[in-house]
Amino acid sequence: MSTRIATVFAALIVLLTMAGTACADGTGDAHQGKLIYQRYCVSCHGDKGNGQGEFAEWITTKPRDYRQGTFKWRSTPSGSLPTDADLERVLINGLYGTYMPSWNPLGHRQRVDVIAYIKTFSPRFATEKPQPPISIPTEPRYTAESVARGAAVYKKFNCAQCHGDSAQGDGPSAHELKDDWGNQIVPYDLTQGHVKCGNGGDDIYRVFIAGLSGTPMPSFADSISPAEAWDLVHFIQSLSPGYAKNLTAPAAPAGGSSP
Amino acid sequence: MSKRLLSLILRVFICAGVSLALAAPASAIPAFARKYGLRCTTCHESWPVLNDFGRNFRDNGYQLRLGKDDVVTANNAYWPVSVHITPNYQYTSTSNQPTDQGAKTVSSGGVADASIDLLMAGVLTKDISFLVVPTGFASDGNVHLESYWADFSRVIGNSDWFNVRIGKHEVDLPASPHRPIDMTVGYLVYGYHPGPDLPNAGAAFDLGSNQLGFEIFGHDQSSLTRYNVSIFSANNDSDSSTASGHALSSPSFFGHVQKYFRPASGVVSEYEFGLWGAYANYPTTTYTFGCTPQFSAATCTQIVGPGGETQIPGTGGNLQSTSRYGAEAQVWLGDLVAPLHLNFVYARGSDSKDLYLGADRAGTWQGGFLEAIWVPSVELLHWGVFGRYDFIRNRQQPLLSSPSDLGNQNQVTAGVRYTIAYTNRDEVALHAEYATNVERGIGVNGSDVRTNIVFLGVDFLY
Repeated sequence: MSTRIATVFAALIVLLTMAGTACADGTGDAHQGKLIYQRYCVSCHGDKGNGQGEFAEWITTKPRDYRQGTFKWRSTPSGSLPTDADLERVLINGLYGTYMPSWNPLGHRQRVDVIAYIKTFSPRFATEKPQPPISIPTEPRYTAESVARGAAVYKKFNCAQCHGDSAQGDGPSAHELKDDWGNQIVPYDLTQGHVKCGNGGDDIYRVFIAGLSGTPMPSFADSISPAEAWDLVHFIQSLSPGYAKNLTAPAAPAGGSSP
Repeated sequence: MSKRLLSLILRVFICAGVSLALAAPASAIPAFARKYGLRCTTCHESWPVLNDFGRNFRDNGYQLRLGKDDVVTANNAYWPVSVHITPNYQYTSTSNQPTDQGAKTVSSGGVADASIDLLMAGVLTKDISFLVVPTGFASDGNVHLESYWADFSRVIGNSDWFNVRIGKHEVDLPASPHRPIDMTVGYLVYGYHPGPDLPNAGAAFDLGSNQLGFEIFGHDQSSLTRYNVSIFSANNDSDSSTASGHALSSPSFFGHVQKYFRPASGVVSEYEFGLWGAYANYPTTTYTFGCTPQFSAATCTQIVGPGGETQIPGTGGNLQSTSRYGAEAQVWLGDLVAPLHLNFVYARGSDSKDLYLGADRAGTWQGGFLEAIWVPSVELLHWGVFGRYDFIRNRQQPLLSSPSDLGNQNQVTAGVRYTIAYTNRDEVALHAEYATNVERGIGVNGSDVRTNIVFLGVDFLY
């Protein structure tokens, strides 16, 4: 019997290894995606994709309503649909500080399937294509000077109006902000050591240029230069106590009080 | 759910009453679902078997690691306690049992005196989590701690490759005997010992029992590559008075490595291979008190002593070894979200001669099981169907005179499960199951013994 069992195991290994050599075509299966959505997503996003699942009323930030095709975390210009890669990036990383976990354990195949299904909630995906992703220039060196210039940019663009002088999400307008669905939202506390969309420089740069559709966070694509944007990225990174490039103590926003 | 559908389901249960037992996603620990707002299906392929997400969540010390794990970030109403109970009807018949009227088939059935599990688990603070499971509370009033441990995640360098768990824990077996999809007979290979015709000290050791000791484990980001090492005392619920109470006095070891693969396309959505093994040292003598006078002191020191003596805790000695090792292969066919999941586990085992009284030699055996779990791809994944074939084949009997196939077993379990409701707060499911086991030569005059079990239950957690 031992020999037979060993043979079965060997055959299994060969067969499954061969199965693993197949290539994916990269397109999701919305039918399978619906089941994935029902297994993992529906309690927050709801079975109609309207962001009103059974858990939604108990939490902030509110789950995304998919029906408008409006997404915060995009690489595409303001107002554009996101790319599939944008949506998958959110699934992989999750959104820090919210109830959106990382779905990395699901694997690429399931993620593209559920993305295909999520896109069926909004008619925009049937009629529009995402605009090309914004270009992100190479990141300049992170220096104390860059951080200082970023603090000035923070002041120039009046970021403190929402995010506060100390960048803790406590600006004068912080309590008046609502998203496109009428939900009250609070500006992000940039000092807590994590940025919701990812801690990488590209992730933060992308937010300035693309904006966060559906929220009061605008796109600065027409008003901020790439150099200013990178300085602002470095300034925000400097606010995170655990950020690897942190030079010394967090820099104070220009004109603001030190944290 | 409509009354008509409920009525239909109940009729199916009553009429079929057999291999219908249901397996739909349910939550082993609904407190997690309440905390994170995730349904039971998020972590369970089909209750209570973990899926990839659930395995990763458990490996991460019950943390999602996005700023919502620490209890201070949870809603004040959150309390890390869940309750699990399964009111059930069970019918059992066993053939070839000795009676004054000769060999008879003995049958019994009725609504069981169910017990409950209090599942307490959660995060104490970042990277420190816990599990405490008191079990019992049935009419006999007994309660015991089925499991309790503290888990320290990312102990070295913020790496997932080194985590430590301390306490009474289940070792990382290829299929968890504490989360089996069936509710009757369980897996045969973890606790089997040859020599049913011998007093068997080794029979008290069950690899499937929760073990006292500590566990070191690690994994990659998605828990697709995992290792696990447990160091424990060969001790369990039934013999804690005999084995020494700490790992160094009766050291035992368990190890398991696993690798999961995900083809990019095709009918095979995931497959896994693993190797595992355990080497346990088990005490065969102990100091005693109150041994019946006609027995000698030497006789009284045997663990399976004849004199009605009281064994003195913590004095186990003359350690003898028992080992288990094997391999597993799993494959998921169809989409992972609603797969046909096949799990094949092969095991070999050996008990040294001195674990038995009067044995001529060591006892050795091989066995395994093939388990299939199917989650039909119908809306909301309410259904689950499962089946398993377990087998035991003895390779060497401890007694020279024993028939070579004495104690060989074939066992088949089949069932279906329908989850009426599962939310991020609770779960209720109907579960029907049939199991049959045939064990060679242990009945009257060396006849085979067949045991049949029918189980119908309502499984709920909140």
